[in-house]
Amino acid sequence: MDATTAPHRIPPEMPQYGEEHHIFEMMQTLLEQLLIHQPKEPISFMIEHLQRNNDNVPKIVILGPPASGKTTIAMWLSKHLNSNLITKDNLIEEEFSHQTEDVKNYYQMTKTVPNELLMKMIQTRLNESDCIKRGWILDGIPETREQTLMIQSAGVNPKHVIVLNAPDMVLIERNLGKRIDPNTGEIYHTTFDWPHDVDIQKRLTIPEGISEVETAQKLLEYHRSIIRIIPSYLKVLKAISADQPCVDVFYQALTYVQSNQRSNAPFTPRVLLLGPLGSGKKLQAGLLAQKYNLINICCGQQLKEAVADKTQYGEVVQSFFEKQITVPDSVIMKVLSQRLKQQDAIKNGWVLHGFPCHLDQARMLDSVGYKPNRVFFLNVPLDTIVERLTLRRIDPVTGERYHLMYKPAPTMEIQARLLQNPKDMEENVKAKIDLFYRNCTELEEFYEDAITLNGDQDPYTVFEYIESGIINPLPKKIL
Amino acid sequence: MSTYNYTSRPRALPCQRRRYRHDLLQPPDEPMHHGNIMYDRRVIRGNTYALQMGPPPVQSDALEFQRLQQSHKKAAAKRRALDQFRPQSPEAVEGRKHLSVQTGAWPSPGSHLNQRLEERDLTQNGWKVCLRVARHPPGIRHPEGPRPAIPACPGPPRPDPNAGRPLGVSPQLFDFDLEVKPMLEVLVGKTIEQALLEVMEEEELASLQVRQYNYEELRNAELAEVQRLEEQERRHREEKERRKQQQWEIVHKQTETSQKIAARVFAQRYLSDLLPSVFGSLRDAGYFYDPVERDIEVGFLPWLLNEVDKAMEHSMLGRAVLDMLIREVVQRRQAAYEALMGRQAFLAPETGFMAPTTMVYPPEVDGPQDLLTPGTQGLLLDRDLLQTTQSRLSVGRPVDSTSLQDGLYMEEEGEEPFEIGGP
Repeated sequence: MDATTAPHRIPPEMPQYGEEHHIFEMMQTLLEQLLIHQPKEPISFMIEHLQRNNDNVPKIVILGPPASGKTTIAMWLSKHLNSNLITKDNLIEEEFSHQTEDVKNYYQMTKTVPNELLMKMIQTRLNESDCIKRGWILDGIPETREQTLMIQSAGVNPKHVIVLNAPDMVLIERNLGKRIDPNTGEIYHTTFDWPHDVDIQKRLTIPEGISEVETAQKLLEYHRSIIRIIPSYLKVLKAISADQPCVDVFYQALTYVQSNQRSNAPFTPRVLLLGPLGSGKKLQAGLLAQKYNLINICCGQQLKEAVADKTQYGEVVQSFFEKQITVPDSVIMKVLSQRLKQQDAIKNGWVLHGFPCHLDQARMLDSVGYKPNRVFFLNVPLDTIVERLTLRRIDPVTGERYHLMYKPAPTMEIQARLLQNPKDMEENVKAKIDLFYRNCTELEEFYEDAITLNGDQDPYTVFEYIESGIINPLPKKIL
Repeated sequence: MSTYNYTSRPRALPCQRRRYRHDLLQPPDEPMHHGNIMYDRRVIRGNTYALQMGPPPVQSDALEFQRLQQSHKKAAAKRRALDQFRPQSPEAVEGRKHLSVQTGAWPSPGSHLNQRLEERDLTQNGWKVCLRVARHPPGIRHPEGPRPAIPACPGPPRPDPNAGRPLGVSPQLFDFDLEVKPMLEVLVGKTIEQALLEVMEEEELASLQVRQYNYEELRNAELAEVQRLEEQERRHREEKERRKQQQWEIVHKQTETSQKIAARVFAQRYLSDLLPSVFGSLRDAGYFYDPVERDIEVGFLPWLLNEVDKAMEHSMLGRAVLDMLIREVVQRRQAAYEALMGRQAFLAPETGFMAPTTMVYPPEVDGPQDLLTPGTQGLLLDRDLLQTTQSRLSVGRPVDSTSLQDGLYMEEEGEEPFEIGGP
């Protein structure tokens, strides 16, 4: 058997590399672009695309009825994400100089632009270098279904579509208070968004077309068209209620824009659960292992197993156990890495809990090459922990474990003979929790992509949060 | 410049041909005779480690002379002391006395040269050291100093050359034949000695050459051997290096190949889901659409709606035109009625202001009104007007129903050309 047919072991660095650099998503966008543009020189096209490296720029469409705050949100988002804002007025201002006279006259007469022209203008604008480099935010385009279809056929795919919703009456009332600053073009409101600067206040003008009747008409048009646009963008759509303060809307929009779509990339979860004693790590790890076939690796458990198996490391560990001192990091690391490099852990993924207690251990774990791709911090307040732990009891006869509050013993007889583990005494618990809190800030800094959860809820809720954290791709932080 | 300093600068030494100096002051204009230092008695030749005689005692200083005398005495004493340890022939037996007797003739001056050389091999290397073993009469004692080339002893007594000389011959100083013999011996001996030395030297040289040649041969052979071994060593080493390199390359290539294969397999597996997901995402984005559906949506439905719109427009238009016609007719009727009413008012003005309560021709009048479909507000207004005018008409003109009906028929007739043929 020659080199091609011998069994090969795929080193685990390869899937890690693929995950880190989002190879699958990159290939996907590359192929999509190839299919859309169908260039004559595919290789140079691909090279150019890779050099542009703009897979992660924002491509956002914001739709909503008049007076919902679209423009405000769009402007804030574009400033925040450092992206380009494109509205119909922008396009008309910029592009109209190139158009012929009769088109201009037509526009002046009817105040509308034919769809094809609009599409062409959009395409030229989106192909300009600043849009390619920094992304784009379309405000109020597409307005009708025809425009939507045209955009889609041209291959312009927004990554996020935000639709603002609000009851009509609110909108009509709100529109009456709309004011525009003629210099900057910013929109202010008499009640909700009054500018502080007196100069701006003085020069605010009332825009045309904000009377109730006109607003009602516009709303009618809007409702008619939006209902036909939404089905085209179902997968990337998010509806945000515009009936809240501006800042809340903006915050929701921002979080949505920062999240990625779920991709089909192959993904082996390597989960790290961190949290103080009694936060429920072991329970969650057990649930995860059961549902997703991950390998549940509990640090303490591994050490005890090593001792029981009487391996060479086990003997070393045992000596430490006997003396009741904590096992040194290097030994723990060796035991764990032995477990982690086994085939099943590499293939199925793992859930690790109880291991990095402080920064040095975390760094060591990283250096050996087992980087977790999801890290969860379970936050539980101190009282809850104390309550959870100090009320644990065990029945010496049957071996059943009870909890005085959550799972009390059925009969008085059993209750009488319940015993408490000295490790669960309040002082010990508090000492261990203090230790954790001292180290947890460092750990949070080290694991920047960690997701913090509230562990104070019932276990299945927490489990669902963890699941969604694992399944959805990690949000990219722009802040 | 002098690179070397002498305590006494080298100079040519004058010799004294004459045994005895004439004067203490040598006439300086006589040329200086420089002697051959080879034959100068003052030059010490040979081993200088033995005790030296030194120059003859110069009686200049009494102290020095005394010292010299003492040293001589000491030397003599030492000699006597050593003589005891010298191996000697055993003491004479009782009744005998040992005498040292000269057994042979005095050796001629050159006879020692003619003696045979016994060669004794004294060294290990095969170098031959010639040891001249000379037999000398016991009486002769070599002075403990350098032996001059010519023995210093006076030699045997010479016979008188003038003995037995016949008269008339001038007295001879010496007997040529007798005197020449030792001289000849010396000369011949010296020559032969020199020749022998030269021959020996040549022999030595030859043997040296032979030795050297052998040595060179040996050396060359060894050198060749060494070189051969070195070459072999070098070749072995290079071969080893080459083999190691080859092996390393093979291993390297193998690992690379396996890595490449692993990478390829991994990439295939990783991207196995790529195509379906790409197509799925493009379909979701709307880029891939069902062309029939799209065509229906974009092409057919708008046209359909357009046509429906047109149809509805047609019927609406028809009705609008009908309304217009009816209004026209009613207006004309009203005008005519008013004209008529104006005439009647002259005759019976008091009845003109009665409230129009009695509707004599309601069925007839209402009839044509039913033809009017409920139209827009404008038409409604007209209708009211029409009703009031009709009622007013009804009060005043019961007789004129025929003319009204005529008018209506006229309208209906007039309507026909305006009846728009179907959709």
